[in-house]
Amino acid sequence: MKYIKEERIKIDKSKITKLAAYHDPCNYGRKAQMLFGHGYFQEPRWIMDQCAEEWVDLYPMEMNQTCCGGGGGTLTTGNDEERVYYGRKKIDQIKASGAEMIVVPCHSCHGQLNNIKKEHGFEELEVKYLWEIVADALILK
Amino acid sequence: MTEADKRVNLDQLDHDSCRSWDYSQDFCVTCGICSSMCPVSGIDDFDPRKLVRMISLGMENEAVDSRWPWICTMCGKCEASCPMEIKISSIVRKIRSLRERDEVPGILHKGLETALKTGNNLGLPKEDFEFILEDVAEEIAEEPSFENFTVEIDKKGANILTTIHNKLVNTHTDDLKHWWKIFHAAGEDWTVPSENWEGTNWGLFTGDDEAMKKMSGRIVDHMKNLGAKNLLWPE
Repeated sequence: MKYIKEERIKIDKSKITKLAAYHDPCNYGRKAQMLFGHGYFQEPRWIMDQCAEEWVDLYPMEMNQTCCGGGGGTLTTGNDEERVYYGRKKIDQIKASGAEMIVVPCHSCHGQLNNIKKEHGFEELEVKYLWEIVADALILK
Repeated sequence: MTEADKRVNLDQLDHDSCRSWDYSQDFCVTCGICSSMCPVSGIDDFDPRKLVRMISLGMENEAVDSRWPWICTMCGKCEASCPMEIKISSIVRKIRSLRERDEVPGILHKGLETALKTGNNLGLPKEDFEFILEDVAEEIAEEPSFENFTVEIDKKGANILTTIHNKLVNTHTDDLKHWWKIFHAAGEDWTVPSENWEGTNWGLFTGDDEAMKKMSGRIVDHMKNLGAKNLLWPE
């Protein structure tokens, strides 16, 4: 955020052409709010505003955001059948938003969404890190 | 084991066994809101209300032996919606912590053990790690506008020190590039430690506070030893 505010980097919004949606990871949002009294809900949305002409929120969002299903170490416990199954709600939620790209700032969400999208009939969904869309939209000298 | 053997003898429940757990579990009014919110409810007969009741009733061993705490994603929706403010996520993590370490499912504890021993979940040697980083940096330097790009490992006094998620030096090396490109464009002064660079902290998932402290302590040590001013820890 600092780089963008201080204009140390410049962003070209037109570089992001697909309609993006933002997903709140449980640990950055809801759990941070409960544990530390501050959930990172507004900061990533401000970055989304800087990087894309248009983007959408999922419903529900922020404190009520739907879990991707890949948290709590479930990507590594070997309970894969369960993990893929409960990711269906997340994929349904993204489909309902009309987005073609989902932006996340969490490694677990990123891994989970890429892993389950085919199973739930959304193979074309593009999964991006929040810092990846910033890098993609950079104006380079 | 027959169905009858699996039944819990209610007369022999030890209600005091989890009395010292201060997660407000005894305040449960069995309303079931948590179970409605939970993304995992229904799988393997699990729902969070059952787990809370088990702890309130003192069924510690049954909870520890169960798969339930491990199929939970610790998303915290149950806790955020609980009208009695029961710390359900903490209950799950506490139960996980009581599992024998070699009975922790999947690679969670094994990865953590490797990290404690070698500095990263993969057991990747320092030379290989440095080789991968430099290789990726060379790839970036081949792109237009990034001609002078380099990665400076163990640089002293940098403005930013960043940790690395093990998958980024394993199967997803291209994903190292995003932050690095932003740093380059912003003219940032940054560095990566050559050892103990692991950004994940799987003690969070296995309920291992000691391991978490050790992993975090290593990052604190880097900040001190390398004199870095800010930390980027995206994991």
